[in-house]
Amino acid sequence: MTTYSTMKNSVKIVLIISLAVLSSNNMIGQSAREISDKAANAIDFPSMEMTSTLKIYDNKGRERVRQLVTASKKFNGITKTMIKFTAPADVKGTTMLVFDNAESDDDMWIYMPALRKSRRIVSSEKSKSFMGSEFTNADMSRPILDDFVYEILREETIDGISCWLIEARCKDEDVEDKNGYLRRVSWIEKGTYLTHKVAYYDLDNELYKVQYTRDFRKQSSGGYFAFFMEKENVQNGRKSIMAIDKFQEGSSMSESAFSPNQLGK
Amino acid sequence: MRDLLIIKHRWLVIIATLLVVGIAVFPLFNSHINPDIESYLPETMPARMSEEKIQEIFGESDPIIILFETEDVLNDSTLKRIRSLSKGFNRMKEFDMVMSLFDAKNIKGEYGSMIVEPVIERIPNTDKRRESLREEIIANEQVFKLLVSEDFRYTIIILNSKGDFPDEVLMEAVNGSLEEFPGDEKVTIFGHPYSRYEVNNAVARDFMILMPLGLVLMFVFLIISFRQKRGAFLPFLVVIFSIVIAMAMIPLLGWEISVIGILVPIMLIAIANDYGIHFIAYYQELITAHPDMPVKQIVTEAIRYLKKPIIMTGLTTIVGVGGLLAHIMLPARQMGVAAGIGIAFAVLLSLVFIPAVLVMLKKGKIPESSSGKGNTLMDRILSSIARYTTTKPRLVIYFFATFLIIVVFGLSRFQLAADSSGLFSKHHPYNHTLSILNREFGGTKSLRVVFEGDIKDPAILNRMDYYEKEIKKLPEVGNVTSIASIIKIMSKAINDPGDSLYNRIPYTREGVAQYLMLYSMSGDPEDFEDFVDFDYTKALFSVQYQADNMNTLRKIENTVLSLIAADANVTMVGGYSLVEKDLNQAVADGQVHSLLFAFIAIGIVLCIIFRSIYAGILGSLPLLFTIISLFGLMGWLGIELNIATALLSSIAIGLGVDYSIHLFWRLKSEVKSGSNSEEAITVSLRTVGRGITINAFSVIIGFSVLFLSAFPYIRSFAFLIITSIALCLLASLVLVPAICMLSTPKFLKK
Repeated sequence: MTTYSTMKNSVKIVLIISLAVLSSNNMIGQSAREISDKAANAIDFPSMEMTSTLKIYDNKGRERVRQLVTASKKFNGITKTMIKFTAPADVKGTTMLVFDNAESDDDMWIYMPALRKSRRIVSSEKSKSFMGSEFTNADMSRPILDDFVYEILREETIDGISCWLIEARCKDEDVEDKNGYLRRVSWIEKGTYLTHKVAYYDLDNELYKVQYTRDFRKQSSGGYFAFFMEKENVQNGRKSIMAIDKFQEGSSMSESAFSPNQLGK
Repeated sequence: MRDLLIIKHRWLVIIATLLVVGIAVFPLFNSHINPDIESYLPETMPARMSEEKIQEIFGESDPIIILFETEDVLNDSTLKRIRSLSKGFNRMKEFDMVMSLFDAKNIKGEYGSMIVEPVIERIPNTDKRRESLREEIIANEQVFKLLVSEDFRYTIIILNSKGDFPDEVLMEAVNGSLEEFPGDEKVTIFGHPYSRYEVNNAVARDFMILMPLGLVLMFVFLIISFRQKRGAFLPFLVVIFSIVIAMAMIPLLGWEISVIGILVPIMLIAIANDYGIHFIAYYQELITAHPDMPVKQIVTEAIRYLKKPIIMTGLTTIVGVGGLLAHIMLPARQMGVAAGIGIAFAVLLSLVFIPAVLVMLKKGKIPESSSGKGNTLMDRILSSIARYTTTKPRLVIYFFATFLIIVVFGLSRFQLAADSSGLFSKHHPYNHTLSILNREFGGTKSLRVVFEGDIKDPAILNRMDYYEKEIKKLPEVGNVTSIASIIKIMSKAINDPGDSLYNRIPYTREGVAQYLMLYSMSGDPEDFEDFVDFDYTKALFSVQYQADNMNTLRKIENTVLSLIAADANVTMVGGYSLVEKDLNQAVADGQVHSLLFAFIAIGIVLCIIFRSIYAGILGSLPLLFTIISLFGLMGWLGIELNIATALLSSIAIGLGVDYSIHLFWRLKSEVKSGSNSEEAITVSLRTVGRGITINAFSVIIGFSVLFLSAFPYIRSFAFLIITSIALCLLASLVLVPAICMLSTPKFLKK
């Protein structure tokens, strides 16, 4: 998958929605893979609009702030996401358009108002940073279930929430190279399938990045949406925060607005 | 006649000496060696200050470079090896920046999109793929001729350390990895961590093997000259004891031993046996002159006669090395203090310990030459010198003047060492690698300029671009990199050829910001860390070039500095080669200051001792002659002045005056006893001249062993010591007597 997924995926992860509260009976005997699948399903979101702030910190605590307006909608099985920068001033108006093709590579365009030009972006690595932040394209997008081998490590309570600790280990070296990590461990809340914390281990199996998802708010549809996501690289001390300022389910935008030719118009 | 205290309490003197030296051995175990010479640069030195600040923001500029040579570096096994090595190095905590074919990025435009990808994503498995990779590399201006040579025979891995790892650790990491992933390529290593490591190991090992051998030869020579074991043993013990005391002072004063610190024992080997040798020589002379005189009386008489010249020579030598206190490099000042203390101790031992031991020994068989009437080769040579200087003094003076004029011309060819490449022979892998890096990879020197301000401002970027174009016109410059060059590469990927924005900096700040934004969608956030800081307020402009001498270094530096002189956004200029250049310059300047100081101080001391200004001038003459000739010869022979060779002139200072003082003292005593100039000179040369010659030759023979070393550095070191001693010897024993012959100085008659 490509960087395209970035925004949409940030949407996906950030937006973790519980589908249903399962009975305790159903929970018995669930495999690690099933739990992971449900946690991934929990974030599929047909359409929405939001404004958010991305803050990127270096190891000295210096800050870069970007403000974004995002709209996402599904047309004929393709989720189309548009992300427009509103700040800082020098990139204001820069717009990204991402088509999440279910079967093939994603398409991504960027419109640069200063050049009055739009360009396609191609990037082959999922381990790439998302807009210079600690978030990567890989962890912004829905993981490919078959790329990993799953295992329930144990159960643990964090912040008073009872969770499964699910390990997802890359199945081979290609997958490791593509994702940039060896394995990840997720804290998935029992019942809601909300993922509260993910720990990533690098190719030397040393703790690399830790991601927290917080401030889940119940939406009108009954699902939950996380308004805060933080990811820290514990090896170099860099940190990024994604905070949602405004969120609404559904979008009134037409399909033509999501056209590469319409970018910047 | 009452016994001197030294003679009366001879056992006490011997025991006390052994006790002091024995105790001084303990601090030696607390010695710490600090091989990093730059750490001693004055902290206020601009190049060092800037470079340290630049390192804080952009990291080190002193990399280890591993060079691989093979038929075609794009072959399967070489690429696999480079990939494994690069992966390994990237995982090591010792290195914070690894650059290889597998770390470099390819920024290109394709079908209306910008692509940022590793140069080699997959190792090509067919010839066709290999050739298309080759074409991509040729088109990549960040890789071609920077990481791969034009003919694809060479490729390099560049490793930047985090700076706080010792050279051994880094080199073990590198060597370990190279062994873990073996291959058929010829692999050589370049970089200061490597050269320092080589010097600290190979050079030091060479030194440690050869120097004791030299000491043995020196010892044998002393035995042959004096025909008595005590003649070798006692001056020798004085040298060893004074070295122990001097080296013990370093940890006791809370210092670390620097690379320069190794010169302390060498200086003492050359200087400290002087006093003992003269004592033995005079002792032997008295025995032959007065065969019936009891030992006690002989020793007493020797002390009486020698205490003044020995103390005076010691004093002038201490003042001479004390000139190092005026040096700007801390280790040179420390060397001055330690060597000074060692010399003082040697003087004390020569006047106290040697007599105490001699008094307890029987006279033994004394060689005839000690009386000044022998017929050995040395005696005959000294007689001829006496004959020539007394019969043809003008000729002798003309000869010296001609020699001086010739060597003075050499001063114009005299050069400061620009870097450490002179450490190794031309055939050493280090210099082989250096020449390939210069020929194929744009050079090994770097100069770094920091711009501060709004780095996204096209005005700043356009200026950087202009400087880059101008600097690239210099033939020595291999590459110039900055965020401006990266933005231009992006402009080629984003825009089509012919487009007004193609291959240039965007017109607006927004344009720049949006290029960078576009890159951040597809590249790595760390890709620009070498060029610009996190908040785009500081940018690094690096010039990579080659220079094998100070003039080229200065030319590049001056060109860059004059270009950027009026730029208000330039805040710092640094780079390792600049620090290295300033270091060598500082050493040379420091040495000039030390020499001037020593020169004046010694002149004054001589004036006071002999109560004559003329004595001050005449006594300093051998010193002046030696130093001018030494630097002139270095110019003629192409020996560059570096840290070690600069400090060697202090040895000349230590010895140059000693020889003249001993000679003056004897001349004075001969003139006093009624001899005319001719007789006084002849007797002095054959008696004290013998002591001076034995002293000089023992040192020359000892150091000549260093010519066996494989390192030109050590060989030129030996050459310079030997030459300076030989020049001092000639000036003192030939020139000074000739001048005295022309007009007997009044101070000798006082």
